[in-house]
Amino acid sequence: MAIIERPVPATSVGPALPTVTPSSSLGVFRRPVAATGWRSWVFTVDHKRLGIMYGVAATFFFVVGGIEALLIRLQLAGPDGTVLSADVYNQMFTMHATSMVFLFAMPMAAAFGNYFLPLQVGARDVAFPRINAFGFWSFLFGAMFVNAGWFLGGAADGGWFMYAPNSGVAYSPSHGIDFWAIGLQITGIASLSGAINLIVTVLNMRTRGMSLMRMPVFTWMILVVQFLLLFAIPVITVALFLLTFQRVFGATFFSVEAGADPLLWQHLFWIFGHPEVYILVLPSFGIVSEVLPVFSKKPLFGYPFVVFSGAAIGFVGWGVWAHHMFASGIGPISVAVFSMSTMAIAVPTGIKIVNWTLTMWGGKLRFTTAMLFAMGLVVEFTIGGLSGVTHSVAPSDTQQTDTYYIVAHFHYVLFGGAVLGFFAGFYYWWPKVFGKCLGERLGKWNFWVMIVGLNLTFGPMHIVGLQGQPRRMYVHTESRAGEGFFNITFWNFAASVGAFIIAISVLLFLINIWHTHRTAPPAPLDPWDARTLEWMTTNPPKAHNFDSVPTVHALDEFFHRKYEDVGEGDEHDLRRVATAEELLAEQEANADHHIHLPSPSYWPVVLAFALPIVGFGVIYNHLIAVVGASIVVLAMFGWALEPSVALDTDYDPPAPDDGPGTELATVGGGRP
Amino acid sequence: MVREMSAGPSRRRLAGALTALGGVTLLAACAEDAPQDTWQPAGENAQRIQDLQWWVFAIAGAVGLIVFATIAWVSVRYRDRGQPIPRQTHGRPALEIGLTVLPALILVGVAIPTIGTLMDLSRTSDTECVVNVTGQQWWWEVDYPPQEGCGGFSEPIVTSGQMVIPTGTKVLVRGTSRDVIHSWWIPRLNGKRDMVPGRVQTVRLQADRPGIYAGQCTEFCGLSHANMRMEVVALDPADFETWKANQLADYTAPMEGSLAAAGEQVFISQCATCHQVDGLVNADGVPIIAQPQERVFAGAAPNLTNLTTRNTFAGATWDLLTPTCRDDVWNASPEEFGAAYLAGVSADCLNEVDLREWLRNAPAKKPMYADPEQLGPTDGLNRGMPYLALSEAQIDQIIAYLLERQ
Amino acid sequence: MSDADAPHGATPPAEKTPEHGAPDEGNAPTPDDASAVAEKVDEIPMGGVPEPGPTGEAQRADDSNLLTELPDHAEHRDLHGGHATTTGLSNNKMGMWLFLGSECLLFGGLISTYMLYRGRQADGPGPDQIYDIPFTSVSSFVLLMSSLTMVLAVSSATRNDERNTKLWLTITALLGATFVGGQVYEFTAFYREGMGFTTSLFSSSFFTLTGFHGAHVTIGIIMLMALVGMISRQRVVGDKAEVVELVGLYWHFVDIVWIVIFTLVYLIPA
Repeated sequence: MAIIERPVPATSVGPALPTVTPSSSLGVFRRPVAATGWRSWVFTVDHKRLGIMYGVAATFFFVVGGIEALLIRLQLAGPDGTVLSADVYNQMFTMHATSMVFLFAMPMAAAFGNYFLPLQVGARDVAFPRINAFGFWSFLFGAMFVNAGWFLGGAADGGWFMYAPNSGVAYSPSHGIDFWAIGLQITGIASLSGAINLIVTVLNMRTRGMSLMRMPVFTWMILVVQFLLLFAIPVITVALFLLTFQRVFGATFFSVEAGADPLLWQHLFWIFGHPEVYILVLPSFGIVSEVLPVFSKKPLFGYPFVVFSGAAIGFVGWGVWAHHMFASGIGPISVAVFSMSTMAIAVPTGIKIVNWTLTMWGGKLRFTTAMLFAMGLVVEFTIGGLSGVTHSVAPSDTQQTDTYYIVAHFHYVLFGGAVLGFFAGFYYWWPKVFGKCLGERLGKWNFWVMIVGLNLTFGPMHIVGLQGQPRRMYVHTESRAGEGFFNITFWNFAASVGAFIIAISVLLFLINIWHTHRTAPPAPLDPWDARTLEWMTTNPPKAHNFDSVPTVHALDEFFHRKYEDVGEGDEHDLRRVATAEELLAEQEANADHHIHLPSPSYWPVVLAFALPIVGFGVIYNHLIAVVGASIVVLAMFGWALEPSVALDTDYDPPAPDDGPGTELATVGGGRP
Repeated sequence: MVREMSAGPSRRRLAGALTALGGVTLLAACAEDAPQDTWQPAGENAQRIQDLQWWVFAIAGAVGLIVFATIAWVSVRYRDRGQPIPRQTHGRPALEIGLTVLPALILVGVAIPTIGTLMDLSRTSDTECVVNVTGQQWWWEVDYPPQEGCGGFSEPIVTSGQMVIPTGTKVLVRGTSRDVIHSWWIPRLNGKRDMVPGRVQTVRLQADRPGIYAGQCTEFCGLSHANMRMEVVALDPADFETWKANQLADYTAPMEGSLAAAGEQVFISQCATCHQVDGLVNADGVPIIAQPQERVFAGAAPNLTNLTTRNTFAGATWDLLTPTCRDDVWNASPEEFGAAYLAGVSADCLNEVDLREWLRNAPAKKPMYADPEQLGPTDGLNRGMPYLALSEAQIDQIIAYLLERQ
Repeated sequence: MSDADAPHGATPPAEKTPEHGAPDEGNAPTPDDASAVAEKVDEIPMGGVPEPGPTGEAQRADDSNLLTELPDHAEHRDLHGGHATTTGLSNNKMGMWLFLGSECLLFGGLISTYMLYRGRQADGPGPDQIYDIPFTSVSSFVLLMSSLTMVLAVSSATRNDERNTKLWLTITALLGATFVGGQVYEFTAFYREGMGFTTSLFSSSFFTLTGFHGAHVTIGIIMLMALVGMISRQRVVGDKAEVVELVGLYWHFVDIVWIVIFTLVYLIPA
């Protein structure tokens, strides 16, 4: 595919990396060495390549989830729709949510995090490069496993929240939910390993001078998200194990006949599920916090407030899960407590909106596509946030929950928040990753069409929700549609039209990618006059990221190296003192030598591939599971016996031994 | 509050002004006539929610407008017109703290009435009448236990799809489920409450005026979740007594040799295994007691003793009345409503189209889990009504029989 | 780097006084504080990155000791043959700690499930009939002792005493295997007394909780034995003492979890 081919950097002045003669591992396989071709992608451990692969896979599932959404909207375009059967419709909305949440938004955040987080903290890779590769492959195989149900008797049909006991075998006899549960278990392994990896990278591998309070906000938000993942994933893991044991081995965790409490699932699911919401939006908050300052030519207003509010959201996010259960019958005291904690979380969220607005205030605004998407997020997310406040009011929520009003709310949060943020990130960082700027003209079309589509799709859902249309219904009928301006049938039709407008905007984006890579000239080194470290290297960055790792002296280090205040006294007069090219040349002149990058490896992909085999075995035949488990054990041993960085003696010619100062690579040298 | 607004022109203007202010969410506040409109309270409980959320929506709308106006102003005022690079200021802690405290205060202002309303809505001590509901895939059973309330019940009444209550009475709905989680929601009377198997949950209902209040199951409950509806029918206390008497009246056997009498036999052979009709006896005069647990996974089927006193069937999804007759009942004035409803379903008003389709092949009309090939996971039991292979003649007979069930 | 690029001179961080660190920490000046801005911008060395070299490392983070950073972490460098990290804790060790933090919530969820369901045995046997407290106490003691031998293994590894490291690792694995053997015996005994996995909510949640713990111990044993093998064949990648310590961390965690499970499941009456 065009978008995964990396253009050859225009200038490559840095040190030539020595070629590696790999050692064998387990005495059978020689290590992969290819620097080009498919092998160089499949066995790579480079955080940038993995980031790109995460991005491509997530985009693929964005399209899949989008097609599922279009089918849903086709079915609901008119009353008593006949496009989908009830059964297929139920699979469709379940898998739409699953695709968008687990297979698009989370890996897309992982794509951005993987690619830019090491660059932003001035590291040469993540702490555990092979675990990073393993994370990507287990995500991809898990995602395929979740979708395997489509081809093997029907996908999951219990809704993404998969409430018990409706998820039991009696109520969902196909294997769809088995594939769903085990597949999400596998993607959960990916998220967990990614979380550990990125947390260690941030805490341990920052460059000289990069104190925590000098980290870019994007890095901060990714850090908060990884902590949320670290503690949320095990909870859903327990829930999914219980569900799988119930469905496959006949346990009775959610069988009311056996005395079980169906609310156990709800609590486990939402203790994971609410932090999950922040897992989905905080990365985009981080992206926007990078984009707005750059195009306002001002630092982020109230940086410490934004950082601490992000962390506060991360903490308070654990104490609000039961607001998904206001109608479940958890008792008025619990409802009151969770109602108040939910209102409390609006405060740090509000702080972010205020700070983004004040960042633009007094700035010098350039309305590039990235900036438009970022501002779009601020506006659209505000709508979602405010409708969120209306259902923190528990009595009001009992009228709104499980209606389309909720659907409107969380799509303004997730589409208006997460997705617009990702698009801002695409336009902002495309030149960094691929060396070409995405077309601004098509980009602006992309933006405006998307904004129109988004509001036309999800705006009317507020109306139909307040008019009493519940969610997850495969048909709506004329007899309960009402009349006049608020006619449910009309607004459902409008929402369906809006969905196709969104589809057009996504198509424009894909066309823009294709067009850019065919015709656009190489991007300038610093196209946006950016502020953070990832722009202090070539476009795209070299395999080792920085020829010499920069030392950081301030927040927005790159900007302060380019500009200087020459004003006297109270005057201020910011003058440019250096260009990005000069700074890069200087860095290249001081290049480090003998950078030992982690070497590619077979084991991550082998290990990840074994997981779905175990999954198939659990569902169909336990012998297959034994085969899968054997591969797991084998791969782990291979992994453990293989050095992460090829030894000096593996290099050809061998690296000269010039003392302890030579091994400058800041990659983790360990046996993870 | 909106109900009051629509009363006078000046209120209407006020509503109009607020609409302009609050954008699309507030717009829905002055809607017309969707039967499940959440902004048209028709009883005390829904009214309390309305009084609360009205302010919340107004505040949210105002905050939204301030934010949008600010962003719009900023993007015009500070667009790049060649001005010098701005001072690299990192913020003003005082302003920041102020803008943190302000929303916190607003939220405290919202929280206090929220807690008050919440506690009020959860009170059950002033209950005047108890009605039980039980959710099952994909219909609601409604039963009235013997009690003093609602004018007194000596014997239980079991019905389905429609819950009849007296107006101006504080009714406590006690609900549970026989299979998966369902949710009981009559938007114009109160918020929703999940009905969870193994638990008994309560929700209060009270209707100010006679009428039909539509509702729908709102917790995803499987295949036919969209086809699981319910209605609350509020009658004057006097009409309610009439309704009660109708429900408890003795079984009237169809006339010998009539179509309905043939229908009774078909009913006994084809339907009575699952569907109870109180008073029905077999040839030996022994009462026929339905055994739905032998055919249905959740163990129950709607009681059809007085089917045609109700005006919906199959999970309240289809009307027993033709569209014209239906509109006559739904649009009747509060004074006339009681009589219109109590008239039941006459032969002229019967919606034969849907009923025949249903009897011909129920799972084809409403998606249910009743394919004999695929009942392994439920040990051969249906979830929903199976295909019965009735002949057209049998269908005629059953319809004639059912028409007399009132 | 030419001097023209850095008219104000490339002040190496090491020469900075601590006072300079404060306004420089990204916690930026207020607008009224223009002189501070000017002063700050003046201080920023324009591209003046010092040559990274043996001494360059020591200069690191002089002015960046916020939150988690240890101001003297340069001293931690290369203690274990790895690379200098910002916190001084090696990547592997920090990764293991994070993983164990995550595991806490896994067991938290399983324990919660068990606590919710422990009285719900329906017709099956309940906790009071089925537990053999003396037997489980002994096997718990064996597991606790394995923590002690693990400590000895780590200490031998730190002293680079390969022979004793292998010895103590093997003993730890044997003690762990004894515990798992005890658990297998216990499970079969329960099964014979009529408590299978699907008998009741109590049995399902009991077997799930203790089974997950047993699986953790088993994985630990595999890791210990693999480590012994790798040490014998000199195939350990990276710092041996650290690898032993990592396995030790995992092992202690599994032991601590068992203390919690033993207390909550066996000792506290339902």
